[in-house]
Amino acid sequence: MARARVSLIASIIVFILLIVMYAVFNYHNYLLLSLGIIGCVMMLFFIRFEMKSIKTREIVILALLIAIAAVARVPFAGLPSVQPTSFVIITVGLVFGAESGFLVGALAAIVSNMFLGQGPWTPWQMFAWGTMGMSAGLLRHFIGVGNLWILNSFGFVWGFIFGWMMNLWIVFSNMHNFTWEFLVGIYVSSFYHDLAHAISNVIFISLFSVRWIRILNRFKKKHGLLEDPTIKPSIAYEKAGK
Amino acid sequence: MLTLAMYFNHPIFLVTILLLLIFVNISHDRGKDLRKWLPTLSIMSTLIILINPFLVSRGTTILFYFRGKQVTLEAFMYGITMALFIAIILVVFISFNLILNGNRFLYIFSKILPRIALMIMMAIRFVPLMKRRLNEIGDVQRLRGMSMTVGDFKTRVRNGMLRVQILLTWSLEEAIHVTNSMKARGYGTEGKKSSYTLYFMDKRDWVWLFILAGLMMLCFYGGRLGYGQMIIYPELGPWQFFWIDWIVFCSMFIITSFPLFIEGREKIRWKLSI
Repeated sequence: MARARVSLIASIIVFILLIVMYAVFNYHNYLLLSLGIIGCVMMLFFIRFEMKSIKTREIVILALLIAIAAVARVPFAGLPSVQPTSFVIITVGLVFGAESGFLVGALAAIVSNMFLGQGPWTPWQMFAWGTMGMSAGLLRHFIGVGNLWILNSFGFVWGFIFGWMMNLWIVFSNMHNFTWEFLVGIYVSSFYHDLAHAISNVIFISLFSVRWIRILNRFKKKHGLLEDPTIKPSIAYEKAGK
Repeated sequence: MLTLAMYFNHPIFLVTILLLLIFVNISHDRGKDLRKWLPTLSIMSTLIILINPFLVSRGTTILFYFRGKQVTLEAFMYGITMALFIAIILVVFISFNLILNGNRFLYIFSKILPRIALMIMMAIRFVPLMKRRLNEIGDVQRLRGMSMTVGDFKTRVRNGMLRVQILLTWSLEEAIHVTNSMKARGYGTEGKKSSYTLYFMDKRDWVWLFILAGLMMLCFYGGRLGYGQMIIYPELGPWQFFWIDWIVFCSMFIITSFPLFIEGREKIRWKLSI
């Protein structure tokens, strides 16, 4: 707890320092700068999770879902640019809420890159998948999970946003010779890949989202996992659960 | 090292850093991983070197004209430094992947984010298990005539996802078993826990850290003043080094070759002790 608070303060200080460095010293190392800012932002989510009281089984379930999201691309190795990781992350966000969605998205990126190779793209991937899971969790509050049309368009749009976020790391690492043509060129060249991602999201959501949501919801109810604190008083529950 | 590479753009600096890093990499695993990446690396670099002069026409020294656009020496040099730079980043990350194994990862992250680190470690442990299970499920599916390799696109996608779904329902229950086992061993109980760590900093490490940090500062300072850098646009600057360039170069050399120095000393000691 205390440790989490220290790292919270530290990450805020680092964030301010980065901004100052950029503004005052005219610092031009954009790749490092962007990675630092992304790191600080994600740190806030992680620290929130550290400071929260949570049950052991919830940690294990999240770890399991991370592993499934990371491993889900294995059977699809034969089908290029089809990967259900985004689908798993969206479903987790829909069922277990925004915070779990963020964690599973961000950590699935780390874990799958442990096997595929880390690189400067890892933080971007973490951020993109994390916000994907988080926005799915937020979506649940506004429209519920029943409407397939909304879910499908959500998945379709995220297929593109994910690609656009991932393009940014290439842009930032080549910031010295930045031209608008260069930017447009990168975004045009990634179009088909993004489109494939978006379409595969739609296919997975329309075929499987109902079943997956049912499976996860049943499990959540059965073991009392990651419930909404507004529904149940979590403190009394917490003690009973431990 | 990454920061160093970003700071300097003099080709001699970059080539030295790249060579040293490749040696460091070879000292890890005799360049096994590096060789795997070599095709990607070389294709990417040559593409950048070739494409940049044709896209960017800044610079004053014109080599020749290509479809009415000027192809300049400066853009060419810029492409080379870009390619070196990207190669350096990739090689650093190859080393990074080799060095940062699970134990060290957990050790570093458990200091700041213990719960996240635990989750990552668990997920990393689950991945091989899940892969094995996916194979088993795949075997059963194949017997039932559901295949990932033949059939139209939609059935293939459906079969693949069914496999993942079976994996999900199979594994979810087990998470509860894992939890019970963790509780039985005292995870989450109040009170102080001790943990086993393999790595610790002693006095020697701190001294070296300070020396390296000092050299790093020197490099930064030099870089800020424009040493170790070459002017590319608008006109190619001179190649020669001033004496401060040499100082910056030496400190950069020491920082980059530090792992080699440590490994080499150990090797020599090992050989001599027999």
